[in-house]
Amino acid sequence: MKSSNYLPPRWAERLIERIAAPHLREEILGDLFELFQQRCTRLGRMPAQWLYLLDIMLLIHPRLWRRIAEPGRLPHYSADFSKSNPIAMLSNYMKVAARNLKSNKAYTLINIAGLALGMSCAILIFMLVRYHLSFDNFHADSDRIYRIVTEQHRDNIDYQRSVPAPLGKVFRNDYTFGEKVARIATFEESLITLKNGKELRKFKDDLAFAESDFFEIFNFPLLQGNKATALEAPGTAIITEKIAEKYFAQENPIGKVFWFDNKIAFTVTGVLKNLPENSDRKTGIYVSYNNLKAFSPWLASDDSWGGIQDVMQCFVRLRPGVTVSQVEKVFPGYVKRYRPTNKNVHHYKLQQLADVHFDSRYDGPMERRNLWILSVIGLFLIATACANFVNLATAQAFKRSKEVGVRKVLGGGKGQLFWQFLSETLVISTAAIIIALVLACLILPIANSFFDTKMSVNLFSDRLLLSFILILGIIVTFFAGSYPGLVLARFQPIAALKGKMSQASIGGFNTRRILIVIQFAISQILIIGMVVIINQMRYANQANLGFDKEAIIMLPLGIDSTNVKLKTLKSEISAIAGVEKVSLCFSAPASSEAWNNSIWFDNQSEEVSFPTSIKAADADYITTFGLELAAGRNIFPTDSVREFLVNEAFTRKLNFKTPQEAIGKVIAANGGTMVAPIVGVVKDFHDRSFHEDINAIAITTFNPNYSVLAIKVNLANVKNTMSAIEKAWTAKYPDQIFESQFLDESIARFYETEERMLKLIQVFSFVAIFIGALGLYGLVSFMAAQKTKEIGIRKVLGGSIFEVLWIFGKEFSALILIAFAIAAPIAWWVMNGWLQDFKFQIKIDVWVFILTLASTFLIALITVFYRALKAVRMDPVKSLRSE
Amino acid sequence: MKGTQLGEFEEVVLLSIAMLYDDAYSVAILEALNKRLGRPVSLGVVHRTMQRLEEKKMVKSRFGEASAERGGRRKRLYIITMAGEHALREARRVRNELWDGISETAFGN
Repeated sequence: MKSSNYLPPRWAERLIERIAAPHLREEILGDLFELFQQRCTRLGRMPAQWLYLLDIMLLIHPRLWRRIAEPGRLPHYSADFSKSNPIAMLSNYMKVAARNLKSNKAYTLINIAGLALGMSCAILIFMLVRYHLSFDNFHADSDRIYRIVTEQHRDNIDYQRSVPAPLGKVFRNDYTFGEKVARIATFEESLITLKNGKELRKFKDDLAFAESDFFEIFNFPLLQGNKATALEAPGTAIITEKIAEKYFAQENPIGKVFWFDNKIAFTVTGVLKNLPENSDRKTGIYVSYNNLKAFSPWLASDDSWGGIQDVMQCFVRLRPGVTVSQVEKVFPGYVKRYRPTNKNVHHYKLQQLADVHFDSRYDGPMERRNLWILSVIGLFLIATACANFVNLATAQAFKRSKEVGVRKVLGGGKGQLFWQFLSETLVISTAAIIIALVLACLILPIANSFFDTKMSVNLFSDRLLLSFILILGIIVTFFAGSYPGLVLARFQPIAALKGKMSQASIGGFNTRRILIVIQFAISQILIIGMVVIINQMRYANQANLGFDKEAIIMLPLGIDSTNVKLKTLKSEISAIAGVEKVSLCFSAPASSEAWNNSIWFDNQSEEVSFPTSIKAADADYITTFGLELAAGRNIFPTDSVREFLVNEAFTRKLNFKTPQEAIGKVIAANGGTMVAPIVGVVKDFHDRSFHEDINAIAITTFNPNYSVLAIKVNLANVKNTMSAIEKAWTAKYPDQIFESQFLDESIARFYETEERMLKLIQVFSFVAIFIGALGLYGLVSFMAAQKTKEIGIRKVLGGSIFEVLWIFGKEFSALILIAFAIAAPIAWWVMNGWLQDFKFQIKIDVWVFILTLASTFLIALITVFYRALKAVRMDPVKSLRSE
Repeated sequence: MKGTQLGEFEEVVLLSIAMLYDDAYSVAILEALNKRLGRPVSLGVVHRTMQRLEEKKMVKSRFGEASAERGGRRKRLYIITMAGEHALREARRVRNELWDGISETAFGN
């Protein structure tokens, strides 16, 4: 038989090795292995693994670990004398547990549901935290790997993950600190074309110009090619397996040629093993750094100290023994030498590789703080689920007082009883774990797309996850089971058998109240947070931005666009039916892309102290986006910088009283190459997200900077219009890929993080409410059991149902109000802090709180009402008889 | 004597060992039983039964060759002893006698 490549789970094999008697070990392992292989080929890997575990479970029997009988000491039928079976008592416990759980189905269901929900959240959170902590931890000597980053000190500090391009080179040449220094310039979504005779295939993929040392610093192994030389010569490239398969299918990629930007040809000289998911490096194509000057002469030159481009990063592995402060001490020398006149001061710093993933100032995707918050939430969910379990289990304890009495009379010790109830808890928590695992596996794909991660579950090889689940199970069992176990084991047999157990012997009523208050406070905080976020998002999406964002298509221009090409394309598209206005520009009024500039105003000798965002755009910009003029007139159509439009923020920052005063003043920008007078002032519009203030803006006709066509269309027949536009565009750029986006969609992307947070908080508030409701149910059951007699007496003495119900209502109203009194200020404080991230924000009004309070009351009512009513409607004869 | 009694499952296991003759080891027996009994039989049950049979001296075992499909582990090959053969024949004899004693009308209901 052909044997498959899979091996049975190692930990399971070890388990068997450990428990099996030595003379059976080899045989059993061999049998299991053989069966596993057969099943792998027949059923696939997963079922084979499960069946492997099943077989192991079925193997468990005293015969598995019993040593071989020694012939001298025992008669030959020795096997018939076995010691007392330790499993017998345990199996009795299990049987009793199963019966008990079966007869209290609601109780079992609630407990398992609560625990399972808490645990599946905990498992997912554990996986997420571990996933993030594992980022880029697989490089050799990673404690010596650093990224050089820039702090720009102006009015406030600006953090940049990149450095001026020449820095890496001079640092490598001047100092011996770095064992390896590598610069890498990454261009996302680059145009890659494959030419095969007449056939032309186009792709958009990330590409990076990398110095060879990059692969010396980072542990990304090559499957083919030599990493020391693969990128040395100009025109060489390394691609990942994934890209190789995408471009060249099954063919050997080595020696194949592709084109970047239809401009530079690269020959593949190496194939990278696919990059691990837990790396921030996602680029699939690496090309020789020597070719950078053909693409961006400025970036590749040795004196591009003037500015920082985000694409350029510099990594360094220091020699052993070199300290960070030693290195950072030499950086200011470069600033002095190469940037003597610039006003904004660069401070270059070393950032440890381990921080790259976590420092959001430098675009790290996940902050450590958030992982902590998540862990705490997970812990809280588990803790409340346990607490609820304790509540319900002790409320249940009464029903079992007779059983405990009988067991004690028959000689059961305290310890035995305790372990019995613990094993019962074990049954529940095991069931909960299994459900939680299934749930976690089901939610995982959703969580992955939600957090933009690629986590995967493999229970059989993932020892850390397994031990986490095991430990979780043990801890939950002990936490949840030990208190009810102790309470039950403490029962006095005489009192228990006589049915004279009083609630006082169980006690802890106030602890329960406190738990409920905490649970409700947290639910309410989450609800308030949710409502505030929803309101702010609605405000951000619906508020007037100062320009039209509806029905505008942003169409990027192709590469190598000549002035003539642009003009004809614009006029062709304007002629299409359904197109209302067209403007050539650098970016939309609100965009994450901005070209910030220091300008000189009105022939002053000093730069102004604030950055100005220069938006290159033609004369149709204002009408296309519906911007309004506050003073002056629109710019005239032309190709070079002749006139400026500025916004009101610009005039305000220069302390003009009215916009009118700025008209006619001269601006010099882009190092003095763009000089022109201001002819008009537009009313303020939001040029960034609501997180940021409105910047000073200057609009001018500067056609080298045009990169998109903004097209205002009539939405009535948008499909035909779109295809006509696509046709016109593709005719102009046959070798490039047509992509367009509606402006309102790209503006909605400003708030991606918030949207994500909103969803997360929705999920957590649902879970918190659910678990809180379970806790409430536990408390009401407990109260009902405690007050059986009180209710009976009240009814006998003539109390109406409503009066008696109020016993419960009073209790819960008080608890919710207390919870609210705690939650409201905390939520207000937290959400107010959150809103501070927005320069334009809503007010948190009182309705939010009223809504929250009302909804928690409603939830509590739904949870409690039925159980309370059942308690109240009980026949007093029954409740009072047993005295 | 107790040693000569065979349980129902012991009997089928012993018979499969006899049938497989030269290649009687646990996985082969397991397959044979699964096919013939029409109910899933677990490895654990087969193992325990064979241990019991060996203790009753009805089978003998020796190690076979190691092979890759068993992850480099040896098989334990079983062979029936005289006592085993005797017990099987005894069991068959008893059954045959009982069958012979059943009258035609016994199944007529």
